[in-house]
Amino acid sequence: MVRTRVRSRMQTRPLGTTGQDSSVVTFGAIALNWLEQEGADQMVELVLDHGMNHFDVAPTYGDAELKLGPKLREYREEIFLGCKTQERSYDGAWEKLERSLDRLGVETIDLYQVHGLEYEDELDEITADDGALAAFREAKDEGLIENIGLTSHGDPSLVLDALDRIDDLATVMFPLNPVVDAKDGDEYDYQAVLDRADHEDVGTLAIKAFAGGSWPPTAELPEHRRPYANWYEPVDTPETIRDRLNYTLSQGVTSVVSPGDPKLVQMVLDAGDRFAELDAAAQRAVREDARHDGSPVPEQLHH
Amino acid sequence: MEVPETVTAALADRPVDGAHCLEAGAGAGNATAGLIDAGAAQVVAVTNEREHAETVRERVGQEHPDRVRVLEADLHEIPLPDDSVEIITAHALCNVVPPAALDAIAAEVTRVAAPGAHLIVDDYAPLPGEAAMRDLFAVENAAAELAVGRSALTFYPARVLRGIFESYGWTHDRTETVLDPVPWTESHVAAHADAAQEFAGDAGTAGNLLAERAEDIATTIGSESTGEMYSLAMRLPG
Repeated sequence: MVRTRVRSRMQTRPLGTTGQDSSVVTFGAIALNWLEQEGADQMVELVLDHGMNHFDVAPTYGDAELKLGPKLREYREEIFLGCKTQERSYDGAWEKLERSLDRLGVETIDLYQVHGLEYEDELDEITADDGALAAFREAKDEGLIENIGLTSHGDPSLVLDALDRIDDLATVMFPLNPVVDAKDGDEYDYQAVLDRADHEDVGTLAIKAFAGGSWPPTAELPEHRRPYANWYEPVDTPETIRDRLNYTLSQGVTSVVSPGDPKLVQMVLDAGDRFAELDAAAQRAVREDARHDGSPVPEQLHH
Repeated sequence: MEVPETVTAALADRPVDGAHCLEAGAGAGNATAGLIDAGAAQVVAVTNEREHAETVRERVGQEHPDRVRVLEADLHEIPLPDDSVEIITAHALCNVVPPAALDAIAAEVTRVAAPGAHLIVDDYAPLPGEAAMRDLFAVENAAAELAVGRSALTFYPARVLRGIFESYGWTHDRTETVLDPVPWTESHVAAHADAAQEFAGDAGTAGNLLAERAEDIATTIGSESTGEMYSLAMRLPG
């Protein structure tokens, strides 16, 4: 007998002009790479049960595409699928897109993104006649992808340039968290990216919301001794995870991408279910907390 | 020169630009930094601790020698003429002022304030009953009472401080919450445990017990987000 389940209703927000209402937490499917197929299947069931309807994957996430495949195909209609490529050329992008479609085993990808834009000259490359975006647009005309997006960990000014230069961007994915927000300087000003994207009705996806800090140098802590599979050292208590999620969503982003380590996903789901907007004093409290956390300040009694 | 957001938020709606200011009870000089950042013509930072004075000179004074003056003095006798400052901050000051000393300081602050002056008092509301940090502050206070005959910390409700300043002619402008909850991070907890242990060192035989207790509590707490920090803004009639 097939169990009929009622999905819980994590809040959703409109993703720019895509017509999609995305759950406030997006499933970062890199988490599947660390699980065997059975565990990966269970993870997808779990996040769907919590009402997550936006997934994000990439060909560079080990075999996450392959492991996502079975459940993705089973629930294709329920899932808004984001994928991406680091290829900057027309031919390279076409090749990677076809490979991803093949590995995922689906006909279309809802959001195909330029992955990890880092330098200004890459922007020249992807916007050139023989650049990746030309392939994206053809694929869109052919119905293989629905929307075009961009992701970057790079300088906020670079993302702003991308928003200026690429007219058909439906979404941008960029870092946003209280540690970065607490810092002064244009190189930390991802709020400017958020403002511009909002102004242009471009959907916004936040990454690194759960970043604590960099890992210690590998001489001190070799990679195989790290307790989490994240690029950065994550916050990992239910309270901090909830603060971080509430904080990042309170800035107004459409959705926050869940962390890469499967051990953290359940805590993020729980926080997502209970999301509540923070007022100014509470947002400041989260930034203050993050600011003190990140810096070994001299003895300080007060705030 | 980093300005904490608590200071920025408290000063945001005050006319600091071009004003002559006083930071009453400069600890690390956070308010001095905030006032300078907000365009103050001059800031006098008053503290009775040499170490704090040096910190403020180093953090803010060196960069703005024409705009910052750091004075080592008691707030009961502020070395400034009557009616001479337009903006006065007491950022996280009152919690280290025992109740018995509060009134005299309010009187002295009022003396140096010019007609129409603004006063900004930022402080912590009394902690909720269930807060673990209360235990640490209780030990710190007990040790301080035994060592120096007064509490180290008193958390006044905003209404109490407002009432005291109103009795000196100040009118209430606004009270707003700047932090809710207050993040007592590991470094704050450790700093208060250190302070408690320092008092405990001068607290006779009970000191050993208190020092041990402070250490235990700090280890158990780690960090805690609890309570509220408020900003009270008042004005003297012009």
